[in-house]
Amino acid sequence: MATTAKVDVPGSDPVLGVQEFLKLLLRQGEIGGVFVQTHLNPHGMPMPTLITDPERLDRADPLAPAFPMNAARMAARLTHGRSGDRVAAVLRPCEIRAFVELVKLNQGSMDEILLIGFDCLGAYSNRNYPRYIGGDDPMSLTSGFLGKTGGSEDTAQSDYDIAEACQSCENLEPLGADIGIGLVGMDLGDHFVVTAHTPQGEAVLSRLGLADVEDPSARRAAMDALVEKRTAYRNAMFERTHEATSTLAGLSEFFARCVNCYNCRAACPVCYCKECVFLTDVFDHKPWQYLGWARHKGMLKMPTDTLFFHLTRLAHMSTSCVGCGQCSNACPNDIPVMELFRTVGARTQAGFDYVPGRSFDEPPPLSVFKADEFPEVAGAD
Amino acid sequence: MDTAVAEEETPQAPATEAFEPTIVAFVCNWCTYTAADLAGTSRLVQRPNVRLVRMMCTGMVDPKYVIKALLGGADAVLISGCHPGDCHYINGNYKARRRVKLLNDILDQFGIDRRRLKLTWVGASEGNEFAETVNDLIEEIRELGPIETRDMMVL
Amino acid sequence: MANRIGVYVCHCGTNIAGKVDCSEVARYAGGLRDVVVSRDYQFMCSDPGQDLIVEDIRSLGLNRVVVASCSPRLHEKTFQKACARAGLNPYMMQHTCIREHCSWVTKDPEEATRKAEHIVAAAVRRVARHQELFSREVGVLPDVMVVGAGIAGIQAALDIAKSGHMVHLIEKGPSIGGHMAQFDKTFPTLDCAACISTPKMVAVSQEPNIHLMTYSEVTEVDGFVGNYKVTVRRKPRYVREDICTGCGTCLEKCPTKVISEFEEGIGMRKAIYRNSPQSVPNTPVIDAEHCLKLTKDKCGACEKFCPTGAIDYTQTESSVTLEVGSIVLATGYDTMDPSPIREYGYGRFDNVYTALQFERLNNAVGPTGGKILLKDGTPPESVAIIHCVGSRDANYHQYCSRVCCMYALKYDHLIKDKVGHSVPIYNFYMDMRCFGKGYEEFYERVQGEGVTFIRGRPAEVLEEDGKLVVVAEDTLLGEIVRVPVDMVILCTAMEPRKDTAEVARVFGVSRSQDGFLLEEHPKLGPVSTATDGVFLAGTCQGPKDIPDAVAHASGGAAQALALAAKGTVSISPTTSYINPDICVGCKVCIDLCAYSAIEFDERRQVSVVNEAMCKGCGSCAGYCPSGAAQIKHFNETQVFNELEGLLMPVKPPAPAPEKIEPQTARRPAAEVVPEEAAPEEAMPESAEPAEAEV
Repeated sequence: MATTAKVDVPGSDPVLGVQEFLKLLLRQGEIGGVFVQTHLNPHGMPMPTLITDPERLDRADPLAPAFPMNAARMAARLTHGRSGDRVAAVLRPCEIRAFVELVKLNQGSMDEILLIGFDCLGAYSNRNYPRYIGGDDPMSLTSGFLGKTGGSEDTAQSDYDIAEACQSCENLEPLGADIGIGLVGMDLGDHFVVTAHTPQGEAVLSRLGLADVEDPSARRAAMDALVEKRTAYRNAMFERTHEATSTLAGLSEFFARCVNCYNCRAACPVCYCKECVFLTDVFDHKPWQYLGWARHKGMLKMPTDTLFFHLTRLAHMSTSCVGCGQCSNACPNDIPVMELFRTVGARTQAGFDYVPGRSFDEPPPLSVFKADEFPEVAGAD
Repeated sequence: MDTAVAEEETPQAPATEAFEPTIVAFVCNWCTYTAADLAGTSRLVQRPNVRLVRMMCTGMVDPKYVIKALLGGADAVLISGCHPGDCHYINGNYKARRRVKLLNDILDQFGIDRRRLKLTWVGASEGNEFAETVNDLIEEIRELGPIETRDMMVL
Repeated sequence: MANRIGVYVCHCGTNIAGKVDCSEVARYAGGLRDVVVSRDYQFMCSDPGQDLIVEDIRSLGLNRVVVASCSPRLHEKTFQKACARAGLNPYMMQHTCIREHCSWVTKDPEEATRKAEHIVAAAVRRVARHQELFSREVGVLPDVMVVGAGIAGIQAALDIAKSGHMVHLIEKGPSIGGHMAQFDKTFPTLDCAACISTPKMVAVSQEPNIHLMTYSEVTEVDGFVGNYKVTVRRKPRYVREDICTGCGTCLEKCPTKVISEFEEGIGMRKAIYRNSPQSVPNTPVIDAEHCLKLTKDKCGACEKFCPTGAIDYTQTESSVTLEVGSIVLATGYDTMDPSPIREYGYGRFDNVYTALQFERLNNAVGPTGGKILLKDGTPPESVAIIHCVGSRDANYHQYCSRVCCMYALKYDHLIKDKVGHSVPIYNFYMDMRCFGKGYEEFYERVQGEGVTFIRGRPAEVLEEDGKLVVVAEDTLLGEIVRVPVDMVILCTAMEPRKDTAEVARVFGVSRSQDGFLLEEHPKLGPVSTATDGVFLAGTCQGPKDIPDAVAHASGGAAQALALAAKGTVSISPTTSYINPDICVGCKVCIDLCAYSAIEFDERRQVSVVNEAMCKGCGSCAGYCPSGAAQIKHFNETQVFNELEGLLMPVKPPAPAPEKIEPQTARRPAAEVVPEEAAPEEAMPESAEPAEAEV
């Protein structure tokens, strides 16, 4: 299952190449629609868009350094129940991982979806992307962002760079996808490659009649270098975050600007609850309760339960955190939520030898148990 | 905090007064709660610091309960249920074990010492074991000192 | 409706009041939010105590009650009933423990009082969020299952059958009778085991209300009290029970000899066999592991010679599902294999026997035809009996096996009687425990027969010059003795069946520390288990002699019959409930549920609890991140409130205006009607909206 085919790039613009590939899929790949990030406004933010007419793919730009939301939830919604048609969803690797997590939690299904991933070079935050495009047509900038050979370009701007989540993301290969678009290390003015990772991907690719190529070693080397760089960045981020939050006072400081808006949880692709428990009547406190709590210490910060919320959210989803960074993106007060959740998640995931999004065969850690495990947890027994 | 008793429980108490931890114990109805009863009928003296919350099973202990207790002034939380294989509900204690492992992995990153969340198996017939667990835990937490949340005005 | 809470603090004589200042606790409770009345009283569980509560509910319009007394495991039901008598839903009462967990275990009275106040505060907070819950009555299926057909299972089955109820009696082995069928004589009466057990076995086979299934095992139990669905696996017998006449021709013709389990390894059986000629059923069974026909497709002698054509090699395993209202477990015990106690030489020396082997030596249909003989065929000229082998031994079983002293005395008598009065017998004992009816008398009788009793646990058994030598310290004389004998009998411990863990899992019952099945209460519930509708009979619960096992079994039968006779049982309402408006349909709870009590509603895409199957363990609620799954009576709001009460700083109440004398039953109880709320709770009494929470 490592069929790799070459996709030619027309007009030296890899975005056009991706569009052509998607059109081909829509025409020949038994696909009822393509779900892909698309520029719907001349200067605005591209949004996840479901396209059924191949002609409408001319503003599709999944590679743009914009990441308005983790589209896994939308993709899950497209597969929650049967439509009768298969949809090809073009997703970032972190979105694919989130989608896999959601499928495990019965929020979506693999039955009618073809996952198309790509080597992810990251994206600017929702705040910085408009600065990045300035007055230009965003379509015209993507190719420059990707670089002559994928990943060769320095993404840093005068006073900002791609999102922290992306700079510290070492999982930029679309391993969980049915079909992966290989960009890193490619001569993007000429071509990129597509690789089937699953039998489904294999079957679809074979119908497209593309020319087979070997996965070039140039890509591997460039990818390894990129992963190494990002891993180093990530480790520094872990260390920094861990130091800042190694006490509860530090954690409190970390969330000092939190206003309990719960945007982080709304933006989180794996916070899958219909309604967060913190919004249910369990947390609908009575006036005398507030006064009672205030009397304990003479004062009470309101809204209450800020650390309670974040600690609970860590308990609920840190093992499934895919590191997409949408929590940070969504925070109105620029709290680096992703940093904390990835830092903690790294530990909780390692604790259960669990990698979110790695495999459908790995159940979320708290959904299962064994009789004989973690003897160190229960006292001296 | 304007009473003698309350002051005794706060870290601001004079240094001469020993720190007395407050410990919340979630215990399952069938094993550890019964063991606590047995410790009582056997008159096994325990320090008064541990306060029991009777649960039907350790498997119903929501991680939120632990977090709430630790943020709300408990210096430690004990979860105690039936021995592996003896769960009245077949395997609730195994589920509790995973949750405790997860919580420990999270909380200890924020300086909440792992010893502040303890999971033990104390069977219905182990009154001795219960009293010992309680007294040992109190001693351990007394040495560890008060939990940070006691001093914090913002949570 | 605003909360109106009554708090009742029990003195329990001096059990609580001797340590906890109950009137102060009551005064403190009186200052808590929504507490309308708080009283302390000498014995809340007494009739006048309960009447106090009933009267207050009626006259003060209480809608919530807290009773602080002993463990709720003792009197929760008592006070629930009292509330119900006054028209208050029993789940609007919180019973909290200030005796076992407070007064009895706290040294300092001041600390005990403070702790009691915390406990009461938590209960008051919690009860404020209680909700009315209603039990449901469900029907109880009339049939009963008894698992295991040793003497206990037989007794239970016969008792139940006599009442007219149908009994499914399931036996793992090829025939019924259990260990008792292996014995020769029984202590202390020395009547023959077969003479008293065989008629019972026959009665089982002839009782129309008993459906006997031998060579069968329970593999799965579904359902709940009154409505159990039990899957029984029937192993192939390869002999048709309906045709076989039990003539025994096949046993003679079968050429394959196998070491007999029933003979405890000292005798042989054939590949087609039954335990004894008196076996019930007397249909033999083919041992598929050793039968030449089944293993190598050779021989076929049994089929050839069977006069009725009952042999059927094509039989296969089958499964049946039975529906019963209750289950009696009578799965019995094992005897310990003494090989690990190397120093006693079992397995190394020919003439070291276990007690059960000796029973077979002694049995008229045993391998020696009832003659007590050494391996070389000669009678022993001297015998040593070692008591407490594996019992009362920290390395093996701490408990006393309860029967060894008595059967050792029986052996003493039998050896003297059968081999000769001149044969010296040495009992190495720790303590003689002869507590039953007629037991001590039997001990004296055997002493009179010239048996030697040496107090001391032997260090080892050696072989010297063809003789066994028992080395021990006679702790009464304080000297080492070396006793040469021909035969050594080890009184091996009774221990839980090897598959007890599996049995416990299948039937959803617990095990005690010693590994036997755990009764509901060591004194007051010795035959019931924590699982409603599953009862214990005989030695699966712990070592017992025959009369105790039979009595225990009749107890188990009575419990099962009580259920069957009433025909209905009340189901606890403290089950899980999944709020369909919050449930996101992730299905994780379905896999976590140990009782298959949660189903998925495909149409609404939510999980739904089957309350009849749900046992309220909270595995689902403990996971559910959105809190859609909650256990009624243990919901998040209730637990959070309890926690807050426990962690609330306690302010001691203002001193009482006058000293209140200790209460007596005749005096009116001290009443505290709060004059002003404590500062911590100083909110105006607003009309609190009814809180909708499940």
